[in-house]
Amino acid sequence: MSEDLQRKIQSELDSFKNTQKELQKAISTRQQLDSQLNENMIVKDELEILPKDAKVYKSVGPVLIKTELVEARQNVGKRMDYIKKEISRVDDLITSIEKKQDVHREALQKLQHQFQQAQVKAALHA
Amino acid sequence: MAQISSTEQPNMKQVDLMTLNIQQLSTLKQQLDQELSLFQESLASLKMAQTKFQNSGESLEKVGPDSDGKEILVPLTGSMYVPGKLHETNNVLIDIGTRYYAEKDIDAAKDYFKRKIQFVTEQMEKIQILGLEKSKIRDAIVEIVELKLQQQQN
Repeated sequence: MSEDLQRKIQSELDSFKNTQKELQKAISTRQQLDSQLNENMIVKDELEILPKDAKVYKSVGPVLIKTELVEARQNVGKRMDYIKKEISRVDDLITSIEKKQDVHREALQKLQHQFQQAQVKAALHA
Repeated sequence: MAQISSTEQPNMKQVDLMTLNIQQLSTLKQQLDQELSLFQESLASLKMAQTKFQNSGESLEKVGPDSDGKEILVPLTGSMYVPGKLHETNNVLIDIGTRYYAEKDIDAAKDYFKRKIQFVTEQMEKIQILGLEKSKIRDAIVEIVELKLQQQQN
């Protein structure tokens, strides 16, 4: 009985730790996206204040390619939309992982409680 | 003094530190320590960015219409240079981020770096103020923990 309980606790603990890792990963992705969005916002502001005939280049690997200002603005705007979508997706992911973590935490607490009670019982019988 | 200001986040509750137990207080202190070290890191990287912008801005002082045709050494690798001549010295290319480069004349470029330096400096000031606030709260927590420990001993 007690071995069975221990096994259960172990497996619950493992899945709890796994969700913790998942959460950490999701959070770092979220932070990365945030900084990307910030950088794109700064670039967008900079592109907005350029005069209409300004020359803009895009670096692709080792070369600079000339781009139209309008196109550059559009591209940055599109990328920002994409990043915003990604952010809301990761936010949803984070909430769902947090929920999962709560479930595991509760289960773990219950199992630990059971384990303690079993130990007390065993001590009384001994 | 023993209260955390809730001005940053509206969903945060005001908590009287005296009502927390030592365990909770030490967790809170750990969190604050982490945040403070994060602030230090951010300040360091902002400082680096500031220096870079300052250097770029200063090197603009050395180029102008009269440097057209002047000879320079262009680095091909870290240890190999070829001679070259400056051309079209009224315009410079500026990396504005996310792999975009914009051509600007010297005055616009100077203005760009001035704005960037100002932006970075503002961010640094903000972080410093936040950091000061957090370290005040941290000190308060340490004080209360000591107080509680003393009470326990008596």
